[in-house]
Amino acid sequence: MTQVSFFSHPAVIFFIAALLMPWLKKNNFMKPALVLVPLIAMFQINFLPSDFGNVSYLGFDLIFGRLDKLSYVFLHVFTLMALIAGIYSSYKDEWEQHTAALLYAGSSLGVVLAGDYLTLFIFWELMAFSSVFLIWYRKKRLSHKAGLRYLIVHATGGLILLAGILIRHSEVGNFLFTPIAPQTATFGDYLIMIGFMLNAAVPPIHAWLPDAYPEASVIGAVYMCAYTTKTAVYVLARGFAGFEALVVFGAVMTLYGVFYAVIENDARRILAYHIVSQVGYMVCAVGIGTTLAINGACAHAYAHILYKALLFMGVGSVLEMTGKSKLSELGGLYSKMPISLILTVIGGIAISGFPLTSGFISKSMIISAAGEDHRIFIMLMLLLASVGTFLSVGIKLPYFIWFNKTKPAVKNVREAPSPMIGGMSIAAFFCIMMGFYPDYLYNMLPYEVLYEPYTMYHLSETLQLIGFTGLGFYLMRYKLAPEDKINLDLDWFYRKSANPVKNFCAGPLSKLNDITGEVYKTLGMRLTMLFAKKMSWFDWNGIDYVIDGSAKQTMSLGDKVRMFTTGKIQQYIGAAVVLLFVILIVVTLI
Amino acid sequence: MMGKLFGFLQQKSAYLKWLFFIFLAGTVCFDFFVPRDGHGHFFGDSVIGFWTLFGFFGCLIMILVCKGIAHSFLMKDVDYYWEDEDEGIVK
Repeated sequence: MTQVSFFSHPAVIFFIAALLMPWLKKNNFMKPALVLVPLIAMFQINFLPSDFGNVSYLGFDLIFGRLDKLSYVFLHVFTLMALIAGIYSSYKDEWEQHTAALLYAGSSLGVVLAGDYLTLFIFWELMAFSSVFLIWYRKKRLSHKAGLRYLIVHATGGLILLAGILIRHSEVGNFLFTPIAPQTATFGDYLIMIGFMLNAAVPPIHAWLPDAYPEASVIGAVYMCAYTTKTAVYVLARGFAGFEALVVFGAVMTLYGVFYAVIENDARRILAYHIVSQVGYMVCAVGIGTTLAINGACAHAYAHILYKALLFMGVGSVLEMTGKSKLSELGGLYSKMPISLILTVIGGIAISGFPLTSGFISKSMIISAAGEDHRIFIMLMLLLASVGTFLSVGIKLPYFIWFNKTKPAVKNVREAPSPMIGGMSIAAFFCIMMGFYPDYLYNMLPYEVLYEPYTMYHLSETLQLIGFTGLGFYLMRYKLAPEDKINLDLDWFYRKSANPVKNFCAGPLSKLNDITGEVYKTLGMRLTMLFAKKMSWFDWNGIDYVIDGSAKQTMSLGDKVRMFTTGKIQQYIGAAVVLLFVILIVVTLI
Repeated sequence: MMGKLFGFLQQKSAYLKWLFFIFLAGTVCFDFFVPRDGHGHFFGDSVIGFWTLFGFFGCLIMILVCKGIAHSFLMKDVDYYWEDEDEGIVK
């Protein structure tokens, strides 16, 4: 790669800013950098060539840059999201979180621009390893454990993806990331698809998402809700459009997510389940694979990133100001945090698909695509999911946080600080603006849009669905009262079923260990002592002389090494990520 | 100021309720005047008020079914996952 094309990759500026973060903070330039970096990238993506950054390394042809209309729409929303999240999170003084966030956002741009599977895989793993710090920086015991589980699940998914990539390479002889036809897909291709589906949180491999996101830091959750699942939607749309399995999985996802959202108590877990639900629409659209459906998937990804981030920001500001995110512990905050309330409700009505919001113009594209493809049952599943969406996020969430009680449930609460309000306002502006002016989004989509969202029929359908869902909530609101409980999900299998293994180790295995120890002590020790006596003579007279010298050397080296080996996995991974970057930069510069 | 506005609205919630019911009646009335040509995906498209019933009963059934499943086996105490971890005791 030449120097010029190296710097034209929009991820590079994110990585450089991430590495310089401690220095930027020292010079009081951290907050401007959080805004400037995404702004520069937003500007940069308009001038990228369609093909750049081809590197030949160790006999592999790596393609760092491939731009077309499909990747452009994702680049656009990812950089916009980085800007909004950057403004929102600038109230936080910890540079460490911002470093992780910038690495994470930058890697997602790398995934979107990657033209071959190897490059894609590098950025894919980088996303997982940088985002786990956004969970750990919540600095709670629970988030530490959730982060470890998140890492293990993603490492497993990464290995499945890698296996698929290598099998595919042995079959087709290259790593090019091109569309795969459903008829010709092989075992390796399906492994790649499973690796992608894990990041898209497709049940039954979705449990990492509602497990980890609610435990992430306030700003971590805002970043994470945007990137991991939507890069997965992008790679599925790029590689696996038209796969029938995705239609079914996607439609099931939409309902699975809302079902859990109806019964959940933790506000951020409700939103996490709604990511599963909303990404289901996109996965389903990718599976349908028609031009309208792919347009719908991209439009919905764009709209979803903004309103879901807005919702996470709104609930995050409540968490930041009150220290609570459980609906059962909140309520009556309308007099204390009214601006957060209004902005969150804008996110809530946008996700529910109210007319004149972004959800209306994007979700309806996917539902229409299902209808036009004569998939009536799928269409009804998607519509039922949108009923559940309005029920749980449109009404339940704001009602139990801001209303329900006449007095605030938490004392001494103030409105969120202005950077938070600022970030939320921008996201809210886009949610409304796209509803009024759909062409802003439609002009960016990969295919020409012949779809008209504002028809009489569609308006009538939406108003009835939303209105009578509201009536249902009104009648059942006591039944829906939040309960301070948790709900089991499929992560139970790797959280609880490990117990038999643990018990085996603690019971029979440790008994066996004790017995062997006893046997060794009585029998083995005597033999050893005898042998040792013979050896000690040789040791005293022969070896010590030589060893003493080198022992001193080793000890002083050991002292030095000990400073680095702290035994903390976070630091090891951090060091590995930094090292990877340095190697990446050196390699590309050569 | 905005907080006061919401407080005022909450006091007048009885009026808001009626406003909401009028809106609901309005949406059903509106459905009578909607042209239905070009929407022949399935039979529900041609039935006036179909989405009213779909939304209402979908919502009720979803709440009942989900809450039912949750109470029967999904819902556990908050310390379900860490009850045997915190003390380092393995049950």
